[in-house]
Amino acid sequence: MIRRRNRKNDEMQISERELSSMTRELDTLHQETFPAVRTMLDGLSTNLVQVTRAPAARRNFLLGVGGAVALGAAAACSKNSGSGGGGAATSTTGPSATAAGSPYTGDLRVVALAAALENLAVTAYQGALTMAGQGKLGAVPPAVATFVRTAMKQHADHSQAWNAVLSKAGKPTITGAPLTITDQQVAMLNAARSVPDVAKLALSLENAAAQTYTFAAANVSDPGGIMTAATIQPVETMHAAILYFVLGEYPVPASFIGVDNAVKPDVLTR
Amino acid sequence: MERRLDERRFGELLEESDDLQSDAMRTARTDLNDYVEAAQEARYAAERDSSRWVPLAGVAAGAVGVAALASASPAYADTATDVMALQTAASLENLAVATYKTALTLPFIGGSSANGVVKAFAMKTQAQHTEHAAAFNAAAVRLGGKAQSNPDPKYAPVVAKAVPTIKGPADVVGLAITLEDVAAQTYIKNVSLVSTSELRQLFASVAGVESQHRAILLAVQALLKGGAPQLIALPPNAAKLPAAAGSVGFPDAFYPTRMASPVTEGAVK
Repeated sequence: MIRRRNRKNDEMQISERELSSMTRELDTLHQETFPAVRTMLDGLSTNLVQVTRAPAARRNFLLGVGGAVALGAAAACSKNSGSGGGGAATSTTGPSATAAGSPYTGDLRVVALAAALENLAVTAYQGALTMAGQGKLGAVPPAVATFVRTAMKQHADHSQAWNAVLSKAGKPTITGAPLTITDQQVAMLNAARSVPDVAKLALSLENAAAQTYTFAAANVSDPGGIMTAATIQPVETMHAAILYFVLGEYPVPASFIGVDNAVKPDVLTR
Repeated sequence: MERRLDERRFGELLEESDDLQSDAMRTARTDLNDYVEAAQEARYAAERDSSRWVPLAGVAAGAVGVAALASASPAYADTATDVMALQTAASLENLAVATYKTALTLPFIGGSSANGVVKAFAMKTQAQHTEHAAAFNAAAVRLGGKAQSNPDPKYAPVVAKAVPTIKGPADVVGLAITLEDVAAQTYIKNVSLVSTSELRQLFASVAGVESQHRAILLAVQALLKGGAPQLIALPPNAAKLPAAAGSVGFPDAFYPTRMASPVTEGAVK
């Protein structure tokens, strides 16, 4: 159980210490990386401020792209839903459109979608921790608890980065997960009764996020936005690889990350 | 006994993975074709435009090759950069394929003393890098460049120097992590350097896969260094994994690009 994560397994004491040391080193690396990302995001913010002051600029991003993913179905079918995009039930919903009165248009709508997706992931992982603490998921291995906490932190970092862009562009930040799929995801989380149940749900979210960023990297207009999506996408795929492994599935199931299950901007409800 | 079970399950998973991969390859080929068409259209448009001002630009293109086109027009510069980026990517993939191939000749990676999961992973990863190289080279050729059949010139000597010093699986895994990391960082950087949406998608698509290779290798490395090779199994005995194993596979919230290779590094001369 998570509450007993400090319990020592004699067999693993040495590796635990060494692994913790490695994790600290890697955390240092992360802290060194973050300033560069900040610089990139500052550039993106500056550019997007200019865009928002130029009416009608880049309004057509992602318009006409179909293929919204039904995440719940993806979770249920995770065995057959590789990052490459196969397997998950999808629904083609026609051209995306900006919600009436939405403050987010063009690239900024994708930024808002990204922030909302990241918040959804944080919500899912936080919910899993809460349920684990309540004993609703059975025994939770320490490594799984660490995975959840670390992945949740990274998603929070991603959300914070995207929201900083919105804020600097003079737009309201995204709190919570204002997405049409959120209720369904929360319901699925609440129905989870084991670690594999939660892992499958998390896997579907990670794969959908990875594919969304793959698509965004190809279609966002702003260079800073392209690079931000490009640097976050691999992190989501890495989360997915570990989740595949935990679920006992082959961890790198496809040679190419697809975009068929990318989440469309019209899933955003704001 | 446990190892045989792992290998059987792994075989089943690899079959499932192959099915997924076929689907993904079809998508990738479509993306590749879209990219090439988009890049060619841009090139023809540039040819038309530049011919109004420099009548011999088209002739020069045929005579001096893609690299010289960089000075003819911005679009030519884009195409030249695209071709070089694809060739450099292919060179990194070629090196990865050769490295995994060599690793699989070692008894503790591909031989009788190998961990079944590590061996299967090395085989599958080698095959995926082969597909990446083919995709990058196909795009380079269709854009008028040459296929890159050689390994990356910067890192090939590094691998050559390292191979004789390999003493066990951890050494191989460490080397593989470096190659996967360089490839991922290079492709992420290339996303911002190439000229069309389709090629950005191709590079992002492959970067995500190299990152997954690295994630698994980092986890395997941690277990090897931690003296727990018996925990490298599929499915894993999650209850016995040390807590830190849950996060060692994804060290950065944002994937860095400091080690990205320049587009010229593996370009065909």
